[in-house]
Amino acid sequence: MKDDYLWDKSGQPDPEIQKLEEILGTLRYQPKPLELPVSRRRSYFPLLAIAASLLLALFAAGVWLRVRNQSAPQPRQAEVISTPSPVEEKKPEQIIPKVVQQEVVAVNHKPRHRPVPAALSKSEREEALEAKQQLMMALRLTTEKLSLVHRKNTTPANLIKNQHRVG
Amino acid sequence: MKALFRINLILSLLFALPFVVHAQDSRLQLSSLDHLAAKANQTVDVSVDERLMKMASKLFNDKDVDEREVKKLVEGLKGIYVKSFEFETEGQYSAADLQTIRTQLNAPGWTRLVNVTSKKDGNLEVYLLFNGDAVGGLAVLHSDLKEITVVNIVGPVDLDKLAKLEGQFGVPELGIEKTKKNDEQ
Repeated sequence: MKDDYLWDKSGQPDPEIQKLEEILGTLRYQPKPLELPVSRRRSYFPLLAIAASLLLALFAAGVWLRVRNQSAPQPRQAEVISTPSPVEEKKPEQIIPKVVQQEVVAVNHKPRHRPVPAALSKSEREEALEAKQQLMMALRLTTEKLSLVHRKNTTPANLIKNQHRVG
Repeated sequence: MKALFRINLILSLLFALPFVVHAQDSRLQLSSLDHLAAKANQTVDVSVDERLMKMASKLFNDKDVDEREVKKLVEGLKGIYVKSFEFETEGQYSAADLQTIRTQLNAPGWTRLVNVTSKKDGNLEVYLLFNGDAVGGLAVLHSDLKEITVVNIVGPVDLDKLAKLEGQFGVPELGIEKTKKNDEQ
């Protein structure tokens, strides 16, 4: 008996070998396209991290704005609060007030960050008038102080000192 | 992960930007002096922000030369804040009250131009905030035995324009212009 069947499938096959071929043939390689896993779980971590950062930044900005607005002095009214001295209280008829002694109640104008309209409404005009008065008072006080500095600074001794400072 | 780190870094920097900008602001925090109002005989508290200043500037008459000058001065400013307390008796405020203001004026950018001390008028200090070569703010601190005053002008203060205000609307004569003219002669 030739054993060529085992080498090149020629000649008479052995029945046992044929039987083995039939049994093992089911496990033979069968060419078919590669199947990749269809449902791969997508990672949302970077997107979530960015969203969280943005939310954190927005929250922090909100807190900062709130703190800033709270720390800013709210009353925008010029307050000139004059408390009469005990001597003045005893003799009110002799008082010639230089400043109108009235307690100006400060109005809390919440800062409204909106553009100023070209034409002012009645309430806005009143607000603007108050602001103008405050502005003038502030400028008056500022120039008073600067005037004092100027007077002190232009005495001959100070002029010499300043010249030395300048070099 | 590197890209994520970069994005987070950029976001953090953007988040920190407003704080940096705020730090360079010439606005002083004067609320620490508020407690003096209870002791003061007379209190002046002026707080005009940019929006109010713009509104007020609309009321200045452009045809009036004086008002036009004030309007020009105010136009670029972002705020004017004044706190002034006059007391009946001496020693109503502490050195710590002054120190809270001076500490802020010791921040980078602020330069003390003048410091005048006299027995009669107390101590007067004038500070300017410089952003490069430009003036970004002005502060005046005046303290004597019975008075403490802080003036804070936020924004580009034009000292020449301020000098032009003298004698207008009750603003006293500073003599700055006259001095300049005399110097030129």
